Amino acid sequence: MSKRNTRGAVALCALTLVAAPLSVAHADAAKDIQVAGRALTFLENGPTGKATLGVVFDPSKPASVAEKNAVMAAIGGGMSAGAVTLTAKPVEASAVSGVSGVAALYVTTGVNVGAAAKAKKLITIGSDTSCATSGNCVMSVSADPKVEIVVNRAAAASVGAVFKAAFRMMIREV
Amino acid sequence: MKKTLLAGVSASFLTVLAASAAHAQSIDYGAMEQLFNEPVTTSATGSPQRSTEVPVAMEIISADDIKRSGAVDLPTILSRVAGLDVLNWGAGASDVSVRGYDQAMSPRLLVLINGRQVYLDHYGYTAWATLPVQLSEIRQIEVVKGPNSALFGFNAVGGVVNIITQNPKFDSAGSINLTGGTNGYGELSIVKSVKLGDRFFARLSAGAAQMDEYKNTTTVPASALTDPARVTANIDTITQLTDKTELRVEGAWSNVQVSEVVSNYDYSPSKYVTTSVKATLASDTKLGMLQASVYQTNLTAKQIVVRQPARFENKITVASVQDLFKIGAKHTFRIGGEYRENEVNTAPLAGGEVRYKVAAVSGMWNWAISDKLALTVAGRYDSLDLSREGTFPAGYPPVGNDYWDRSIEEASYNAGLVYRPTQADSFKLTAARGVQVPTLVDLGAVQLRATAGPFTVGVIGNPGLAPSIVTNYEVGYERTLPGLNAKAGVSVFTQKTEDVKGQPTSSQIDMMPAGPGILPLLSYRNIGDSKMWGVELTASGKITGGYRWSGDWTFTDVDNEAAAGFSPLIRLADFSATTPEVRGNVSFGWSNADWSADVFAHYTGDHKGYISAAAPALVDIDGYVTLGGRVARSFDHGITLAVSGQNLTESRQRQTSGLEVERRAFVTLSKTW
Repeated sequence: MSKRNTRGAVALCALTLVAAPLSVAHADAAKDIQVAGRALTFLENGPTGKATLGVVFDPSKPASVAEKNAVMAAIGGGMSAGAVTLTAKPVEASAVSGVSGVAALYVTTGVNVGAAAKAKKLITIGSDTSCATSGNCVMSVSADPKVEIVVNRAAAASVGAVFKAAFRMMIREV
Repeated sequence: MKKTLLAGVSASFLTVLAASAAHAQSIDYGAMEQLFNEPVTTSATGSPQRSTEVPVAMEIISADDIKRSGAVDLPTILSRVAGLDVLNWGAGASDVSVRGYDQAMSPRLLVLINGRQVYLDHYGYTAWATLPVQLSEIRQIEVVKGPNSALFGFNAVGGVVNIITQNPKFDSAGSINLTGGTNGYGELSIVKSVKLGDRFFARLSAGAAQMDEYKNTTTVPASALTDPARVTANIDTITQLTDKTELRVEGAWSNVQVSEVVSNYDYSPSKYVTTSVKATLASDTKLGMLQASVYQTNLTAKQIVVRQPARFENKITVASVQDLFKIGAKHTFRIGGEYRENEVNTAPLAGGEVRYKVAAVSGMWNWAISDKLALTVAGRYDSLDLSREGTFPAGYPPVGNDYWDRSIEEASYNAGLVYRPTQADSFKLTAARGVQVPTLVDLGAVQLRATAGPFTVGVIGNPGLAPSIVTNYEVGYERTLPGLNAKAGVSVFTQKTEDVKGQPTSSQIDMMPAGPGILPLLSYRNIGDSKMWGVELTASGKITGGYRWSGDWTFTDVDNEAAAGFSPLIRLADFSATTPEVRGNVSFGWSNADWSADVFAHYTGDHKGYISAAAPALVDIDGYVTLGGRVARSFDHGITLAVSGQNLTESRQRQTSGLEVERRAFVTLSKTW
């Protein structure tokens, strides 16, 4: 193959690649929860075996309720995620200050329980990146199209959460 | 210069002391891979990274890929990686390179197992059959394309292959594989991990294989060939000393015979015995992830060099320390130091011992500039001191051992910018400088007399040989296509090799006789430069129903830039002619709960190959297509029965200037628990 043809073929391939369809990825509650559960195992003294996730929702917000329902359905009677088997229980946002028996809180989109969770020293996880970047959550996770984990260092410190060093080197910290 | 560097290191340690604590744990590749849904690696920068975010060109071959390959050896697996060239000299011997420059005893690809070098330093190549690892115990094979001397040191110039085995602490392994095949092939391998209490973990493995050498349809003397056979064993233990400190001890042994092609393109019925012991102490401290390791590898290599038996006894001792830590949210650092001793006897003419000692310092800084942009800069400085002791053969020039008292000081670097404007798009811009140091053989361990026509000449290493410096620049773009469950990428790269090493040749006397009774001498010389540029296209994906596919195509264009007075052709370094312009792969596979089927097609374009002759000469190697595949059925109790094949397109195929490669078929019965 001549060099001119090679360069032409490369340009064509690059154009094809850029023009290739990129379908919009839809949030998948089951995948997000898988990532959340596995990420928890990278905490120093993180959970092993059975762990209960409190799914925090605002009953006045239909989107929050729908997400809560999706998460509860995804976890069902138990979801294996690495070294933990997750179970879930719904927690109304107003009831976080009284919650017990949970390893962490999964915060549905649009709900802010940062202060109450800090008071309870509970790790909060959201599927919306802004939850972590704003400091309302300790961590945000999303599985599609690529696993993205964001940890808010200040929020983590406020609840005494310490992630393992290797894990910290592979995620985005703010 | 050294004082300045040491001062810099001291300052870095003080910075570490001032940094916030980074409580760390050992890296669990499996858990990380499951979390991020992609392989993770430390072979790019020394820091754990996701494969899609490394600032180098890298491909990772997974354990599943290895299993589905149906291959019985590592070079066959590597031949299916985009841009890799493999010269199959015999049923048990191959040479592998990245993006061209492949040659007999290929020196440009550094090969390691869990970071321990299995590249044979004395002669500068990898005898793949000697690798003490069973395919079934490999977690992943990390292939870095381009120089990575800033992390791995000398000889990581064309690329790096780091073989990561299952970790006895995290991975429970147990398997037995029995393979039989055509051409007298038989292999048995066993892998078993054990845990004693909560603090001691071990993995033991052993394997043996034998096969008939390819039929000799060329002019290779029968005495230069032997039926390949290998026996290897490995033990890998981890003792958890405290909650945050572990001691890993690895021991390996191999005993191998192969028909291989040595650097002058003669076949040799070679025998190897290798032993290696490595201890690594890793601790998660307030100063970061500290690691100290020491290993020693002893090699006995018996080869035929210019029709003379040569026995090399090579001992390598390497001690290293490193600290890996993160400061704040955006900065990850690695600082390290290494000390290496490498020694070998002279051969075929005995009497001398050549050795060098290398001290090195290295560092890496990864800066997450934003959530879309990351910069990595790594550097390393090596200082090598060469020496020789012993006697000289009669007829050699009257020089003393102090002629070998020489230092080589070189710096290497890797820099990479990774830009991810979206979660689907990734751009990489990389620059690297790697150092290929002359081997001990090049520097003086080879001593022999040979006849060249009516004359007797001497061959001797050249202690004044300069390292080859490889500089590489690359731009890459990769796009994931979730709608198609696929990804595709394109890379453009350019590379320059300065001070290419040329081999001794009877066509050019390097040192005329200095007086009566003194032999004319042939030696290694730096013969000029070489430039290469190329393009690589890759794509892979999955299709609903259990189907998978991949394809790649790599173009390279190599130009020799010989120094005045030297011919790359006669110095066995005509890489412009011996590097194919094109190579590519296509694969397709399917699996369900019980069945798995894969087919692999590989194409290597036209190129030339050196033949063993009185004077160096090239012959044409026409482009060829190989076909391999595997069909497997899984049964209860972890039992799998697989039928696989290699080189299926022809019963006998010319792939090199040596023996013709034969079609091979295998049946493998395996059980895992």
